[in-house]
Amino acid sequence: MQHDQNNSDSKFLYGSLPALPAILGGMIVSWQDGATLSVVFVSLLLAFFGMASGLFLWRRHINELTQTNFRWVQDENSKIDAVSTYTAELERLLLTISPILSQHVMVSREHTEQEVISLTSRFADMVGELQQIVDSADNTLGGQHYHLDSVITSSRDLLQPVLEVLKQVHKADHDVLDELQKLSGHMSGLNAMATEMRNLTGRINRLALSAANEASLAGEQGRGFAVVASDARKLADDSSQIDQQLGNKVNDIIAAINAALKISENSAQVDDSTLFQAEANIDQTLSHLSLALTHYRDDACALRNNAEQIRGEINNVLVALQFQDRVSQILMQVENNLLNLQKTIEKIQQQGSNRDGNMLRVDEAVEHIEENYKSVSSRPDHVPDSSDELTFF
Amino acid sequence: MAKTILIVDDSASMRQVVGIALKGAGYEVIEACDGKDALSKLTGVKIHLIVSDINMPVMDGIAFVKAVKQLDNYKFTPIIMLTTEMEDDKKRAAKEAGAKAWVTKPFQPPILLAAVAKLVLP
Repeated sequence: MQHDQNNSDSKFLYGSLPALPAILGGMIVSWQDGATLSVVFVSLLLAFFGMASGLFLWRRHINELTQTNFRWVQDENSKIDAVSTYTAELERLLLTISPILSQHVMVSREHTEQEVISLTSRFADMVGELQQIVDSADNTLGGQHYHLDSVITSSRDLLQPVLEVLKQVHKADHDVLDELQKLSGHMSGLNAMATEMRNLTGRINRLALSAANEASLAGEQGRGFAVVASDARKLADDSSQIDQQLGNKVNDIIAAINAALKISENSAQVDDSTLFQAEANIDQTLSHLSLALTHYRDDACALRNNAEQIRGEINNVLVALQFQDRVSQILMQVENNLLNLQKTIEKIQQQGSNRDGNMLRVDEAVEHIEENYKSVSSRPDHVPDSSDELTFF
Repeated sequence: MAKTILIVDDSASMRQVVGIALKGAGYEVIEACDGKDALSKLTGVKIHLIVSDINMPVMDGIAFVKAVKQLDNYKFTPIIMLTTEMEDDKKRAAKEAGAKAWVTKPFQPPILLAAVAKLVLP
């Protein structure tokens, strides 16, 4: 209707405007020279030609406009077809990739969850094993430590009587040595007595010889005295033999006692050294044992501290692994949003050519997505302070 | 005899982490993946304490707490909410439903164990 109105208006303008100068000129000439028939006729003729030429131009203009409009319509139809194709393909693309993306997200989330569960389980085992190490170290530093200390104490208690026995044996050796030394002194006196007896025997022998000489000088009267002198000499000879034997025996005994004394003195010296060395060795052994225990205790203490430190680190890892829960929630949001997008597109697609952009409700959808993500992202991404972490009602 | 604690959380990894902390302290653990599943596990056993998440499918934590408080055998069983939520209105809702404590995720095991030790039934 509007198009027809515009067309009529332009037709009037094209037809009337060129005729206006001829009509106006005719009116001016008629007004100045008077309205003659020829003037009116010429004016009408000029107006007619003006109108004819105007209508001719109008017709030409209309043809050009029609052609332009036809090309524009073709162009627009082509564009609409392209947009429709693009929209259809875009919908197809979204409906195709949305389930795929959703599936990828779900698979990723499930894999991550499984791996985190597996990791958590391994770390849990490690925490358990470290707990055993800590318990073992505690036993070493507590009960076992006490046990090892008592072993050293009881060892010392057991070795001490042995040392005492050795000292008693050592003292007995020294007593024997003293007695041997005394015996040696007594044997020297015995030797002197034997020498004295030898001298006495010599004197008896000399006395017997003098008596025999005196008896021979006395003749028959001295015969009895000669017998006594002879017996005395025999007694002196016997005494000399016994004295000789006694001297030999005394010398043998002195030699034997001296040898025993020497052996005993050597033995006493060895015993002194051995006893001293044994005592020193026992002390040194106990000191080494005590030192080894101290090192063992220090090592156990260091092991315990290291195990505690590692257990603390693993606990921190377990805390960090809790963020998997949040990651899962975010991925579930992504899955749900993709599903909603898919449903929205399918619903709009059912409207066919009646669908329009408002059906998408983009702002509403974005607001909904932002609200959901806000509830997830507003949660702490770090371990809260202990004051925030626990509340009793 | 070890005390038994019911862990209610839709995240398997979270149930495992909580279980590690509680088992390490000598407690026995039963797991449920949502409120409805947890209610089904309250029969036939003595539960000394419940640790529950809030955001779960099927039946959320607040509804679960309200349901537990309706059970004669469990109306006095202490419940600890273990959740990523920090909003005051949700805390208030949990308190009104009957929860005894609120622990925020991610949690340090000693914090949870302190709450459990304080609340667990003898």
